[in-house]
Amino acid sequence: MASLKPKAVEQNITRNPLKWFDDRLPLVSLINNSVGRNFPAPKNLNYMWNFGSLAGIALVIQILTGLFLAMHYKADVALAFDSVQHIMRNVQWGWLIRNLHMVGASFFFIVVYVHMARGLYYGSYKSPREVLWGIGVIIFLIMMATAFMGYVLPWGQMSYWGATVITNLLSVIPFVGDEVVVWIWGGYSVGDPTLTRFYALHFLLPFVIVGIVILHIWALHEHKSNNPTGLDLQDEKDFIPFHPYYTVKDIFGLGVYLIAFALMVFYAPDYLGHTDNYIPANPLVTPAHIVPEWYFLPFYAILRAIPIKELGVVAMFGSILILFVLPWLDSSRVRSARYRPLYRSLYWVFLLNFLVLGWVGSKPPEGIYVLIARFATAYYFLFFALLPVVARVEKTRKLPKTIDEA
Amino acid sequence: MRMFVLLLGLLFPLAVAAGEGPAIAKQDWGFDGLHGQYDKATVYRGYQVFTQVCMACHSAKYVSHADLDRAGFTPEEIAALAKSMNLTTTDKLVSGLAPADAQEVYGKVPPDLSVITKARAGLADYTYAVLTGYSDDVEALAHAFPNSEVPAGAYFNTAFAGYAIAMPNPLPNADMVTYTDGTPATVPQMAHDVTVFLQWAAEPELIERKHLGVYVLLFLAIFTLLAYLTKKAIWRDVH
Ligand code: HEC
Ligand code: HEM
Repeated sequence: MASLKPKAVEQNITRNPLKWFDDRLPLVSLINNSVGRNFPAPKNLNYMWNFGSLAGIALVIQILTGLFLAMHYKADVALAFDSVQHIMRNVQWGWLIRNLHMVGASFFFIVVYVHMARGLYYGSYKSPREVLWGIGVIIFLIMMATAFMGYVLPWGQMSYWGATVITNLLSVIPFVGDEVVVWIWGGYSVGDPTLTRFYALHFLLPFVIVGIVILHIWALHEHKSNNPTGLDLQDEKDFIPFHPYYTVKDIFGLGVYLIAFALMVFYAPDYLGHTDNYIPANPLVTPAHIVPEWYFLPFYAILRAIPIKELGVVAMFGSILILFVLPWLDSSRVRSARYRPLYRSLYWVFLLNFLVLGWVGSKPPEGIYVLIARFATAYYFLFFALLPVVARVEKTRKLPKTIDEA
Repeated sequence: MRMFVLLLGLLFPLAVAAGEGPAIAKQDWGFDGLHGQYDKATVYRGYQVFTQVCMACHSAKYVSHADLDRAGFTPEEIAALAKSMNLTTTDKLVSGLAPADAQEVYGKVPPDLSVITKARAGLADYTYAVLTGYSDDVEALAHAFPNSEVPAGAYFNTAFAGYAIAMPNPLPNADMVTYTDGTPATVPQMAHDVTVFLQWAAEPELIERKHLGVYVLLFLAIFTLLAYLTKKAIWRDVH
């Protein structure tokens, strides 16, 4: 049991108010330990390590802009589309808030995809960071649910039909599938009850994400960041304090990010969206092609690549859930792909293949596209299946002793 | 690291789903680009076409005369224009044609045009293409309908998906309106002007958006530069 003996507690509030407060509630220490002088970070992190803090900022941007949207948005099928137009036209800075939220969702996904690709390349999912990685996958799943429900809110054609197609997938659940779908809809089709509950959940889930992000950072602090060499760092001189080194680097990264973000927000806010979502939802008219938001396309492609609906759904969810077991699939002791020639090649093909999946997901499921989608889906899973074998047969490059040697 | 950047660059073009249907010709628009603007005279000519021609069938239910102040109209001009249509300045631009009647006459309800330029692949170019896409060119017609004719009650249009649109050519000949600024009201001119008006109706905030964007980007450029210099200074002693 920890010592209960009183520490040297500052008694005079005027002499050092900050210490006085910190002795009673160690908030300053908490910050210092989390992202300040007391948090040691490897000194050799490259710019790929900026994307974690960027994801955090992207989340904050979504919450703040979402809050202001929520003050004017109406979750009612008769009013939703109008209320978004009201935000765009009549609410002071409404167009800015909505563009920030809309483009912000896309940029959030870009950041998180890069963040995940980074982890995959440098082996950040390996022991002792399996839980850290798993928490990340949970965040990704909730993020997808949040974005999916958010996209339903403006109640355009893609909102309605996207929601219909995706919720319908749950009907493959054995025995109770159809009942589950009706339960989620709150009726016999996507309608007002669906919209209202999606709104409630869309408001709630980001705060759940905040909670899980705290766990994510907690787990990070237990073993500190991985680094481009993937080496376990023990030597004091391999570390530098997070503040000021990485705070300033993250601020610079944030600047670059915000420039790209602002370019989209001010000059191409609808570029990543779909024109059909400016047509009010109409249950009687099905759009020629129903496509989800771009960030779902790779998984949508996997879903449609498989002709049996049940299997397609399993493959789609499986393609994400498989990330949970990745730390055990890849049994190689070497973390960083820098020293793993075979894994490295497979990795780049995997990333390219993922982009191909995204591209083919935006195409109608016919002709050559089906074939491409099938090959790409096969490789997606093959990559994971090969990892145990790769770990066994791969001849890894000689690891440097220290990061200075690398 | 370099590979990551490359792949990120690949993501963007991939994100756009290629449109299907007839090819839509690109036009030069004053509202395009970093310094996009709405030319007040053009918006006004487009307003004339919209209120005198299109509004016979179409509404723009999110748009009222009062909104025209964002295109540079003065309160006096706005009041006068509204009055000439027997509307208050905050009345929305709603067509007199009831949807049920339209359905009966045209077999389709004419869509609200408030956000039409954002609601079709091809954006403003598409609206212009539909308005100028009517044709009685026999060859084009035979090409679009090799074994059949244009369905009854529909009209041949080279830009519309399926080539048969329920809207009768709204701009069949020149001088459908009389422009007060003396611009000759040719068909392409009217189509161009009304498209600019509809783009304005869809995105009245565009001018403010593009204007503010310049200052935000300037600020961010300076911010980022300073952050970079600070970073270099602080990191000098590492490695
Ligand atoms: C006589 C009635 C009538 C007039 C006048 C009219 N329209 Fe239409 N418009 C229609 C109908 C009906 C449709 C639906 C066509 C369809 O879906 O086949 C339509 C559809 C449209 C569309 C959408 C095409 C699409 O892709 O779905 C646009 C854009 C349009 N009109 C623009 C205009 C403009 C601009 C004017 C004025 C210059 C105008 N219309 C005047 C009846 C009219
Ligand atoms: C994980 C964070 C979030 C993501 C990824 C996200 C994503 C989205 C998306 C994709 C849309 C549709 C945008 C459109 O096409 O208009 C949307 C709409 C909306 N979101 Fe969020 N959102 C997040 C957080 C929040 C929060 C925290 C709130 C409320 C406090 C909120 C409130 C709203 C509202 C009211 C809308 C409807 C208005 C509109 O469509 O523009 N969002 N969201």
